Amino acid sequence: MKTWKVLPVLLLSCAAGAVSAQTTEVSYLTHWSPETVALLDAAAARFSEQHPDIAITVRAVPFGDLLTTIRSSAGQGAPTISGIYDLWLPELVRDGLVAPAPDSVVADVAAGWPAGIAAAAQVGGTLYGIPNEVNVYALNYNKALFAAAGIDAPPATWDEFTAAAAALTDASTGQQGFGLINSWAAGVVHPFASFLASNGGALITDGVPMLDSVAAGETFALYESLVTNGWAVPAMGTADANTTGPFLDNFVSGKTGMIVMANWWESALRAGMGDGFDQIGTAPIPIGPSGEVASSISYTWQTVVSTSATPEEQAAAWEFLAWLNGEGTGASDASAMSDILMSMGILPSRTSDVTANQDVLGRDFLSGYVSVLENARAFPIVLGGQEFSEALQQTIESLEYGQITAVEAQASIQADAVSILERAAN
Amino acid sequence: MMRRTRSLAPAVMIGPAAGFIGLFILVPTALTIWLSFHDWSAQTPFGTAEWVGLRNYQDIFGELSVGRDFKMALRNTAVYTMLSVVIIVPLSVVLGLIVHQRDVAGGQILRTVLFASYMVPMIAVALVWSKLYSPTEGPLNQMLGWVGIGPQTWLSAPQTALYSLVLLNVWQQIGYFTVLAVAGLTQIPATLHEAARIDGAGPVQGFFGVTLPLMRRTLLFSAVIAIINAVQVFEPVALITQGGPAGSTSVLTWHIRRVGIERSQGGLGSAMAVTLMLALIVTVTAVFALNRRGARE
Repeated sequence: MKTWKVLPVLLLSCAAGAVSAQTTEVSYLTHWSPETVALLDAAAARFSEQHPDIAITVRAVPFGDLLTTIRSSAGQGAPTISGIYDLWLPELVRDGLVAPAPDSVVADVAAGWPAGIAAAAQVGGTLYGIPNEVNVYALNYNKALFAAAGIDAPPATWDEFTAAAAALTDASTGQQGFGLINSWAAGVVHPFASFLASNGGALITDGVPMLDSVAAGETFALYESLVTNGWAVPAMGTADANTTGPFLDNFVSGKTGMIVMANWWESALRAGMGDGFDQIGTAPIPIGPSGEVASSISYTWQTVVSTSATPEEQAAAWEFLAWLNGEGTGASDASAMSDILMSMGILPSRTSDVTANQDVLGRDFLSGYVSVLENARAFPIVLGGQEFSEALQQTIESLEYGQITAVEAQASIQADAVSILERAAN
Repeated sequence: MMRRTRSLAPAVMIGPAAGFIGLFILVPTALTIWLSFHDWSAQTPFGTAEWVGLRNYQDIFGELSVGRDFKMALRNTAVYTMLSVVIIVPLSVVLGLIVHQRDVAGGQILRTVLFASYMVPMIAVALVWSKLYSPTEGPLNQMLGWVGIGPQTWLSAPQTALYSLVLLNVWQQIGYFTVLAVAGLTQIPATLHEAARIDGAGPVQGFFGVTLPLMRRTLLFSAVIAIINAVQVFEPVALITQGGPAGSTSVLTWHIRRVGIERSQGGLGSAMAVTLMLALIVTVTAVFALNRRGARE
């Protein structure tokens, strides 16, 4: 082949190689739905317009596979950025999978986030991620079913709650007063922990399991009474790997009078109910006999950067995350991340984002959640937390399905929790 | 020189395959067994593994949550496997007999339908069946209602969830095992059936006297493959039930993934994997032993 024919091809190849060599590829792993991923893609495209040397690729997996994907792909194929549940952070740090944040990000988080939220992204005083969403649990109730049952207002105490559950239950039509969720750890444990918090109790305090308390015993007994009286039908509460399923379907279709769920499920409710969404009200978790104020459980998510990424990829990842979570990168002085979260009904955690979204956060559905945030107790973040959460899930589900009594459940999970946390700490 | 060449030849020819097996099967197996006696985080170098003796095995058979969860997964896997084999193997023979009859109307269609279910990716099967099994809006409960049977809990209750997964597995796998059965039937000389007929044997006598004994090896193969497939069940649990409700569909593959990968408890996960391997060896050995005894009789 003549040289003059080959030369342009060679030159083009070299040019392409030079361009690709200058572009840093950053992958972002999330569990968000396709609609939300599209918003993240759009934000990433805007970022890349301003930073043509950084290309962002978003990959989504079901929530049930997220932690497994992060752990099993550690190494060369690891995603550069991962959205993680804060409960997972201590063990990811212990195993050297996530990189500490650079000084610029540390300063930004310290200045822009409440101290308690920022603490959830730290291990041993070192910041490893940028917090984004904060979620809290509240009582969701169907106003139409309440009116039909003659209930004027959402229950404020456990006595009112069980009375409402009884009034809302109609076995002949397959309607349950209160929805319990199963087959999904957070869906089982967080509502339970919210009732416990509202009863003045705690799961773990200073690394010590507190499930042998009077408040915890009362909470197990509450669950037992809901099921044995038929006010909650466990078979109506199954969840699948995408955190949807019969528990959601039954609330959307008006078969469940009340349920305790987090704010992020607003988008699923709107999609399932359409105009019927206006019938959904939110209220604080009812106060238990040992509690004094309505409380709840909160938890946060954050984005972290993989230690498997090259220094250039890590730097590019932090640059993107700082932009994504930075002021003014979205609409109306909010961050681009805040816009994405608000589209799902998820509360942003950055102080400036909360200010920028005051009007939206004041809408009916979210206002019930915002009102409980102040008194919410953060879900304990400890080594062994994921295993503890799954053990508690198993215990609560066994109680729901009548395999053990409330007393047996309390004794069993306390013993399990002590063992799990001790083993994880060693 | 010729003698040395001859003695080296087998080693040279077997060497690559043996090396492959050694590298990709024996070495990981030995490593897993070694790790099962250690406390090790799966994301850290092997050098950080700490010797704990039999503690992992004591834990997985103990009374706390680690042991309860493992024993439940072991029990669920055993039940799932046994039911799958007991249903699939005989059913595949029945369907194979039907499909093998060239003169039966609809045989071709049946062959196509049966094997089509095996061709569908398990992820699609799992997602569709999760909707079929929906207690309130699923078509299965609606169809049961047409014939006066009340709604079933299917995947929504511990009493029925595992059996619902068995049904899903049977539906998905029956086509493959029917093909195996047809292959076994095809190998039986027609002269033997003819001889049996001449001797006065009816269809039932012919089946139990000629067909079934001559299908022994095919059925042995089917049983072993069905056991291995059933023990490896994962997608329906991962996609639909997440091991619930109340751990009733937690199987060993799912549980080992949760312990060994999600929680990074490599030592515990290895102990579970070794236990599963030993259980499989015992089971398959028992199946072969039963088959040999039956052949002698």
